[in-house]
Amino acid sequence: MKTRNSSHFDGLTIKTKLLRTRLLVTLLFGSGLLAVWLYVYSEKQQKLRQQRIQQLQRVALGQGSFSLLDHRGQRRTKRDFLGSWVLMYFGFTHCPDICPEELDKLSAVVSALDRDASLPPVQPLFITVDPERDDVPALARYVKDFHPRLIGLTGTSEEVKHAGQDYRVYASPGPKDEDGDYIVDHTILIYLISPDGLFLDYYNRTKDQEQITESIRNHVKNYIRL
Amino acid sequence: MTAPSSAERKACWEARDQLWRCLDDNNDKATCCQNFQSEFEAKCPAQWVKYFMKRRDFLKYKEKMQTDGFTPAEGPKQPS
Repeated sequence: MKTRNSSHFDGLTIKTKLLRTRLLVTLLFGSGLLAVWLYVYSEKQQKLRQQRIQQLQRVALGQGSFSLLDHRGQRRTKRDFLGSWVLMYFGFTHCPDICPEELDKLSAVVSALDRDASLPPVQPLFITVDPERDDVPALARYVKDFHPRLIGLTGTSEEVKHAGQDYRVYASPGPKDEDGDYIVDHTILIYLISPDGLFLDYYNRTKDQEQITESIRNHVKNYIRL
Repeated sequence: MTAPSSAERKACWEARDQLWRCLDDNNDKATCCQNFQSEFEAKCPAQWVKYFMKRRDFLKYKEKMQTDGFTPAEGPKQPS
């Protein structure tokens, strides 16, 4: 009676042991498969990102350079901003509503990204399309109303035109009224430039603050340095 | 001529919004909103006044397109 009982007990332990081994093997095999799949997947994602960068390098946008005066009167070139993320907007200080609204939005986006300590600071730039009226003091007055890091840029009409053409910016001053005042019709896109000076994305009026912030966050996180 | 400051911009926008609200409430009868109109013209540069009046027309047209859709103009009448 006693021996039978113990042999029955032994059989049970062997069964449990077998089951345990089987479970372990399945688990190891399964996680192995998962690891391989994850590896292949991330490799593929990386390859896609690399391809995207190669495509962007061939895009005829933002490939040139600019040399302009900032709102403190210092000369700045595109090269000076290499190494940091840049958000760029073209406009003019006499702009009735769209420019201030877009610059408010841009400032809010930069502040939201500033609050995320895992992200590098983004440099906001404002390039005038109205060099006739927007000189260095005019820009200095204007940029004060927006993000504290916002840099205003101006120059001769050739320099300003050259900077805009590189981003396919359209700008056309309207007729002057009796006060000599006029409105400049212009492209109202916000451009995102990578630390390598590469044009990465643009945002139009329909994109709100949250959408732009989220998009930039993704761009920064998935970025591959050239 | 220097560009309007942040405070001047806000004052102009506020006057514009009040005028637009008045025009909306009174079926665009300008005579009902004389006070708002002169307030708007006093607080905004002349060029902005022109711009915002055109902008209102555009926004209203856009809204009409979105709600009523596009109605094609009637073509030339068939010669009888």
